[in-house]
Order: sequence, then C-alpha cells, then structure tokens
Amino acid sequence: MRPLLVVGGRELAARLRDGTALLIALIAPIVLATMFGFALGGDDDPPLRATIGIVDHDGGEFPASVRREALNAEELRGVLTFKSYVDDTAARAAIDSGEAGAAIVFPAGFSASVGAGDGGEVTVLESADTPLAGVIARSMVDRISALVDARTLAVRASLRAGVPPEDVKLFVEENGAAGPSLELASDPVSGGAVDLAVYYGSGMAVMFAFFVVGLSARGLLTERQLGTLARMRAAPIPAWTAVAGKGAVGFLLALVSMCATWLSSELIFGASWGPPLGVLALILAHVFAATMIVMLVASGARTDAQADGYTLGVAFVFAFLGGSLVPVYNLPDFLQTVSLATPNGWVSAGLTELAAGGGLADVALPVAVVAGIGVVAGVLAVLRFRKGMLA
Amino acid sequence: MKPALVCTDLVKRYGDRTVVDRVGFHIDEGEAYGLLGPNGAGKTTTISMLVGLLRPDGGTVTVGGVDVAADPIAAKRLIGYVPQDIALYPELTARENLRFFGRLYALPRRELAARIGEVLELVGLADRADDRVETYSGGMKRRTNIAVALLHRPRLLILDEPTVGVDPQSRVAILDNVERLVAEGMSLLYTSHYMEEVERVCTRVGIIDRGRLMADGSKRELVAELGGSDRVELVVDGDVEATAEKLRAVEGVSEAVVTGTSSVRLLATGGRHLLPTLIAAASGTAAVTGVEVVEPDLEAAFLHLTGSTLRD
Ligand SMILES: Nc1ncnc2c1ncn2[C@@H]1O[C@H](COP(=O)(O)OP(=O)(O)O)[C@@H](O)[C@H]1O
Ligand SMILES: [Mg+2]
Repeated sequence: MRPLLVVGGRELAARLRDGTALLIALIAPIVLATMFGFALGGDDDPPLRATIGIVDHDGGEFPASVRREALNAEELRGVLTFKSYVDDTAARAAIDSGEAGAAIVFPAGFSASVGAGDGGEVTVLESADTPLAGVIARSMVDRISALVDARTLAVRASLRAGVPPEDVKLFVEENGAAGPSLELASDPVSGGAVDLAVYYGSGMAVMFAFFVVGLSARGLLTERQLGTLARMRAAPIPAWTAVAGKGAVGFLLALVSMCATWLSSELIFGASWGPPLGVLALILAHVFAATMIVMLVASGARTDAQADGYTLGVAFVFAFLGGSLVPVYNLPDFLQTVSLATPNGWVSAGLTELAAGGGLADVALPVAVVAGIGVVAGVLAVLRFRKGMLA
Repeated sequence: MKPALVCTDLVKRYGDRTVVDRVGFHIDEGEAYGLLGPNGAGKTTTISMLVGLLRPDGGTVTVGGVDVAADPIAAKRLIGYVPQDIALYPELTARENLRFFGRLYALPRRELAARIGEVLELVGLADRADDRVETYSGGMKRRTNIAVALLHRPRLLILDEPTVGVDPQSRVAILDNVERLVAEGMSLLYTSHYMEEVERVCTRVGIIDRGRLMADGSKRELVAELGGSDRVELVVDGDVEATAEKLRAVEGVSEAVVTGTSSVRLLATGGRHLLPTLIAAASGTAAVTGVEVVEPDLEAAFLHLTGSTLRD
C-alpha cells in the first residue's frame, strides 16, 4: 500500500505540476459543456424528433383526443409524430426496426370504461435505443392516467349524487370536471431527459474522462522512456505498483473532472442531471471503465506520443458512437445499437432514465454494464501489460 | 557466506535471435566482477534479467541466496541497480529524485533524509543537490544516477556502463567511488566496453560477445590463455583489409583484425623479433608507418577469445 501511495503521490504531483491536468480535467470540459449548452440548449427549434406509435384497440374518443392535444402542444410542435399500428406486435416490430421510438397501447373499451367511471390503463412499449420517445410516451401516459383518475372520481361522485348514468358524461364535462387537459407539452421537453444542456454537459464530462485518464497513461509511457519505470520495477515493490499508482491517480482526476462538469452544468443551467446518488453511480462506473479502457490502449503503446494518439482516438470514437457529441437518436439505427457497445452510450441512457424520474435502482443496469465493460478492459490490460511493458 | 550472485544458463531470445545464450557466472561476497564486451554483446540484457526487469527464457538467478524468480521483492532489496541510461526525473532536483526512489525502498523518512545527505556527499553533489537534474552536466547526471542505487546500502551494486558520455573528471570520480565502495565490502557487477575500467575496478572478468560468455577469471588467468602472445598494434598506409589478410598467414601470428581505416591489431608470439617479418609481409599492399607491442592484456584476451575487438 505504501509504495502505491508513493507512486501515486509522484504521479499526482507530476500532473498538477505540468498544468495540463487542470486544463483537461476542469477548464476544457466545463467551458465546452457550457458553450454547447448555450449554443444548442436554447428553447427554440429543438433538434430532436420522436415518433410515437399508437395502437388503438379502443377506437373511441379518448385516444383521438390524446393525439389531437399532444400535437397541438406548443413545445412539442415539430418534435412529435404519431403513427398508428394495428396491434402490439406490429408496434413492437416498428420500435425494433426504429420506425417508431415508442408506442402507447389503448386497450379495447378504454373510452367507455373511463366514461362509466371504471378507470382504465394504457401501456407503453419502448426501447432503450430511443430514450427520448420513451420519455415522451411515458409522460403522456402519466397525464392520461391523471386525466382518467380525475374523470373516474368525478363520474363516481356524480353517480353517488344521483345523476342518472346516461347523463353523467355530459354532466361531468359541463361542470368543468374534465380534469386536467392534456398539458404534457412543457414536461418532457424542458424536463431533464431532453434538456440539451444536460445532454451536452454529460457528453463532455464522459468524453473528457478518457482524456484525463489519458494524461496518466501518457505519464506511464513517459516514465518508460525516461527509464524511471524500469527503476521503479527494480525496486522491492510489487510489480504492479507503477501501473496501479498511475491508474488510480487517473481515476481520481477523472472523477473530479466529471463531478466538476456535473456541478457546473447544474449551477450554470439550473438543470438537474437527476438524483445525485444515481448520477454518482453512473459517473463512478464510467470513470472506472474509462480508466481501464485507456490503460488497455496504453499497454500497447511504445511511446508517450503513441499513448496520446491512442487515447485521443478511443475517446473520440467512443464519444461519437456513444452519442456524447451528437445525440444518438439523430443517428442511423445501426449506430444507435452500436452506441450500447460504449460506456458513453450506457451512461447517456442511464442519465435519460434518471431525468425521466428514475432513481438509483433504475440505473442499476447501465451502471452494471459500464462497470462490466471496465472489468473486461481491465483484464485485457493486465494480460497485455504482462506480455509487454511488464514482461 | 552465500555468494552475492549466481546465475546459470541464462537465455534470452527475441524472435529467432538468441541475444543472451546460456550465460552463467557467480560473484562472491565482496568481489568485484566485470562483464567486458562490445556494444550489443548482451550485457544490458543479461543485467536486466539479473535485476528482475526481464523474464529469462531459461536459466536461474539467485542474489544473496534468494531466487529472483521465486521471491523478486526480497532479491531486489539486496540489489542496487544503476541503469545504463540516466533514469531520473529531469524536472526534479537530485534530492527530490533520491527522496522518491528512497521511499520505494521503504526507508523511514528521518533516516532517508540523513542517508540522502551522505550519498550526495559521496558522489560529490551536495552543493548542487537542490538544482533540477535537467540543469546538470552529463557527468553530474551520471553521478546522481549512481547515488539513487546506493541509498538503501545494497549488498550487490550493479553498474551498467556507468561512464558512458561523461567528462574525464567525472569518470575518475565515478571509478574512485566504485573502488571505495568495493573496499568497504560491497559486491560489484560492472559492465563496460572499456578494458581499462574493468581492469582497474574488477578482480574477476567475464568476457562476453554475441550473447555468449566466452571465458571468465582474473586478468592473469585470462591473459595466461594467450600462451605468451603479445598484442601488436600496426599503423599502415595502404589497403588495410588485404594487409591484415596477409599478416594472418605469417608464422607466429594467431589473430589479425582491422581496427580502423589505417590500423591493424595482431596477436603474435615472438613479439619484437617478429617485427621485420611482419613489415616484409605487409609490403606490397601497405607500408607500415607505426608499430606498438603491448604486454598481454584484456584487449588481447578478447581478441584471442572472439577474433574481434571491443570497440567497433
Ligand atoms: N527488446 C529487444 N528486442 C530485440 N532485440 C533486442 C532487444 N533488446 C536488445 N536487443 C538486442 O540484443 C543485443 C544485445 O543488446 P544489449 O544487451 O543491449 O547489449 P549491450 O548492453 O552489451 O550493448 C543487441 O543486438 C540488441 O540489438
Ligand atoms: Mg548495454
């Protein structure tokens, strides 16, 4: 443990001394996240689109009015398109093929049942590939449920008050107990999931985590060239100390970097990334994965310039594929699938989950997947270090 | 007492090239052993296996009775390793470098500070200890490089070409230091392609060429192998290659190699008496403009054993 601290201390001192750590870990991601947030996070002309499928087994007046009202909602104008499907299977197929992002299913007799005060439930079909559509669909369903509850209550109250059943519907509507109208508009678009300030802020944080760890990876190669790595390896300490010490410092600095970008984004834009515990879990998992991935690529490098190049390449490719730079739902389908091969994609999916009201439990899957990617990369890195630099 | 170092049958291959080929030798406690060989002979590769930086493809190493492969940490504690190339943080001072590496050897803070002072004094850097290493001359860097390996009072000091690229003054200082340490009882492994250094510092010498340890023993033993041959250095004016070829055929000459654009080295019995014959043999391809007959030394032993020269 002591040698690890000695090596880690040296690495930390070196990073703080050369000043680039400050630039890459704090200044660059915060400035870029802020710039992107201001440039692209404006209210007008949201560049996002979502297609929501409707499966109308009901055929009544309720589904039609939901569609009408959603399309009229100010903030969803230009964002939302509806498509009808005959049944759940067709809708599921459309979602899987990417034709629709999510679907809402109205069961048969839904309108009648609500009208009679018996309530009713709609279901949502969604896909991890198209989180925005899922969020909008779920938000619509929440509103529909509220509406249904309100009407059910009103109808029951009227019946109890002696209004004859055949007149209840008219009575309820005339008395303004239609409940909340379908004002779902402001909710999904300005809410977390699609807040572009959060989107780009987290994208930058996720991408820069690679760069920050890259500094320590470069440090490792620099020491190899200086010969100080060999000197450390000739010291009576475990063979892994040098690599582990550098990796640990890279991990810590990347953690600081991501948290700082997170905080600055919340402070500057006032937009929450979600419940802190959930966000922190995602950040920890990502920093771990980024550390292991960068160590894996560094294990194959011969010079520090090469290590830099590899880190840069991996960071940009992952950022692009994982949607840290361009929202994945703007990308072709196969790229949306590919995004889930990157920690970036999963972190973004996790944050969407959080913004949609999820908590720690809802990000368990993304956190586990990202950590799993880290473990795989870590094992490969160990094997490669053993054959190469530490042979 | 256990030998300071024993290695047997060390082998290292890169691809299908065998860079170190069944090298084995031992260093007794307190003994100064030299590995003498030209660049590329395999000295650094051998040392890297001895200090646990490189896994051998075959063979074993024990340091002070500890098997390096089985218990590397215990073995490394006994070794002070001075790499061939300067291995220091240029942006740190000598003192900071020493402090960092000293901590890796688990020296307690207070003791370390005192020991750093001693070591700096020993290598004559006390007055520049708080300047950054990048501002040092080549010789000062070399001395710092050595100082790092002395902090933990190793039983076996391993120096890989410690005088390459230093000014004559620093070279003398380094050799003096090394001799003093050996006199105080430290065991030494010293590699060099400079015959004079190895002759001066080491009591026993291993001659290594193309990955093979050709012979080892005291200077006297190695020279005895020559069977009374002297080393003859000729300066010639003409076709050196052809001249060397001719000289090799002369009775009493056992080796003849070209050592420069106008110089040839011979191993010959009969020394001085043979000179007229040599000059006559060379005539036709070159004129002999200078002759030196040297008492048998390690350079001569090297030529005898390998048919080549230490310097390229
Ligand atoms: N990593 C390596 N890969 C391939 N060849 C190597 C490697 N390291 C050393 N060699 C070769 O091994 C030979 C011995 O090198 P080295 O041990 O450095 O010699 P010396 O220290 O005696 O000058 C040289 O020919 C060198 O080119
Ligand atoms: Mg060498």
